Amino acid sequence: MMKTWISLPLIFLLIFLPFFLSQYWLHVMIISLFYVMMASSWNLIAGYTGQISFAHAAFAGVGAYVSGMLAVNIGIPPWLGIFVGTFVASLLGVGLGYLCIRMGGIYLSLTTLGFSEILRIIITNEDRWTRGTMGLQIPGFFTEYSKMSYYFLFLIVSAVFLFILYRLIHSEMGLSFRAVLNDELAAASSGIDTIRVRILAFTISSAMAGMAGGLYGHYLMLITPDIPSLGQMFLVLAMAVIGGMGSFIGPILGAFVLEVLSEYIRIYGEYHVLLFGLVALGVARFAPEGMVGVIKKRWKVKESP
Amino acid sequence: MSRRILEGKGVAKSFGGLMALRQIDFVLEEGEIVGLIGPNGAGKTTLFNVVSGVYPPDRGELFFDGRLISSLKPYQICRLGIGRTFQIVRPFLKMTCLENILISLIGRGERGKTLEEKKKEAREFLEFVGLRNRENSLAKDLTLIEKKRLEVARALATKPKLLLLDEVLAGLNPSEILQALELIHVIRTQMKITIFWIEHVMGAIMKASDRIIVLDQGEKIKEGKPEEIVSDPRVIEAYLGESNA
Repeated sequence: MMKTWISLPLIFLLIFLPFFLSQYWLHVMIISLFYVMMASSWNLIAGYTGQISFAHAAFAGVGAYVSGMLAVNIGIPPWLGIFVGTFVASLLGVGLGYLCIRMGGIYLSLTTLGFSEILRIIITNEDRWTRGTMGLQIPGFFTEYSKMSYYFLFLIVSAVFLFILYRLIHSEMGLSFRAVLNDELAAASSGIDTIRVRILAFTISSAMAGMAGGLYGHYLMLITPDIPSLGQMFLVLAMAVIGGMGSFIGPILGAFVLEVLSEYIRIYGEYHVLLFGLVALGVARFAPEGMVGVIKKRWKVKESP
Repeated sequence: MSRRILEGKGVAKSFGGLMALRQIDFVLEEGEIVGLIGPNGAGKTTLFNVVSGVYPPDRGELFFDGRLISSLKPYQICRLGIGRTFQIVRPFLKMTCLENILISLIGRGERGKTLEEKKKEAREFLEFVGLRNRENSLAKDLTLIEKKRLEVARALATKPKLLLLDEVLAGLNPSEILQALELIHVIRTQMKITIFWIEHVMGAIMKASDRIIVLDQGEKIKEGKPEEIVSDPRVIEAYLGESNA
């Protein structure tokens, strides 16, 4: 009941809000939705199976560049291209997952970090194909450019992502994810194929990043090696951590709050990522359940004074 | 003669220079309760870990139900029918009791059952160990005895033919030990599960086991009926040290 009371007005707000927003704020909302997709899908692996991957932005880059280059070079429409990009990202996800998930822990983080940097360097240097740091101009989804259409496109895809994630987390698969996170050995001794579970989570998450990256690219219509950069990665990480890792709402909240906030502190340039990094560190140390955890605690205190 | 359910041939395992198990041979027959005892560091838990696939043996072979299992992974061994508990209980702390049991049911990999049906089944296991009223409590909020019960229920929910119990009685008071022994009795007689258990509570293991295997420094030094064990000089020596008399 509680949930319906909160979510119904929220849905109305999300549908009618754009009609009252300026073009600038509409843009901020679209970018926020991109980060909702990124942070929530990253949360699936990091928050629910405990694998800190740094390749999430790289997979978004794969989605954006595959779809973008297909559109530019052989004229494949973006609608189709993003699915190819998603597919390629998920293939890379299986491959990378298969390689490094057995190692686990810190090795997974290091390998994905390496993968991410290698991909960024390749994109930067192969400027014959990617135009390097100058950026590749790619077509958008709509013949007539309208931020409103993009807003609704992003809103619908985000909603589908969140629906899939929600169902996944509350399914048998989601229980297995949490068991692996809680205690891998005990999960294996209960008959859970922990390697398969982790690779599956990694693949689903990579595919979602690929799709989000593709959408993002075709919205900006100019893709640069910034999309698969570590700066981008740490922003996503900060959103999930500050919002609340391992909770469904956390990354959504984190994405909106940090994106809106970063618009205000944009004048300090790249330092805003540094600031978010520091805040994320503090949150991880003092409030490991993030904003959601803090709100929940407050709520409980109010309930039983 | 009844069927051999678990058989180890020349099982050896070392960690670096430490020989945790040296060429152990043993057999468990279907329906038996076999106790595994020995002083600290004798290799008891290592033997359980090797049987359940946590690490493969360096040498030797393990057969379960006539099938070679020494190279299988823990989840495969579990699905074949070996359930286990851990010496230091390892429930999924941030999950509810019901979810803890569900994991075992999911791990069985049976198709065609809905999550609701599995929940119903999970409640029966909770009922069996007396945790029905705790189904929505997080495992971390349970008392030690409740955690141990949950651990046993979780192992039972994998539908094992053989159950490995690693010091389930440790830390329990005398009346709790009696309850636990009652539970073990029911598991054996009603569920027809073979039990292989490690225990330091001598009175209990001697009373409840059909047979005892004694390990010391990675070797099997004695095997036999409980009454033969308690009077064996080698066993007494392993536990109390060499006599000077």
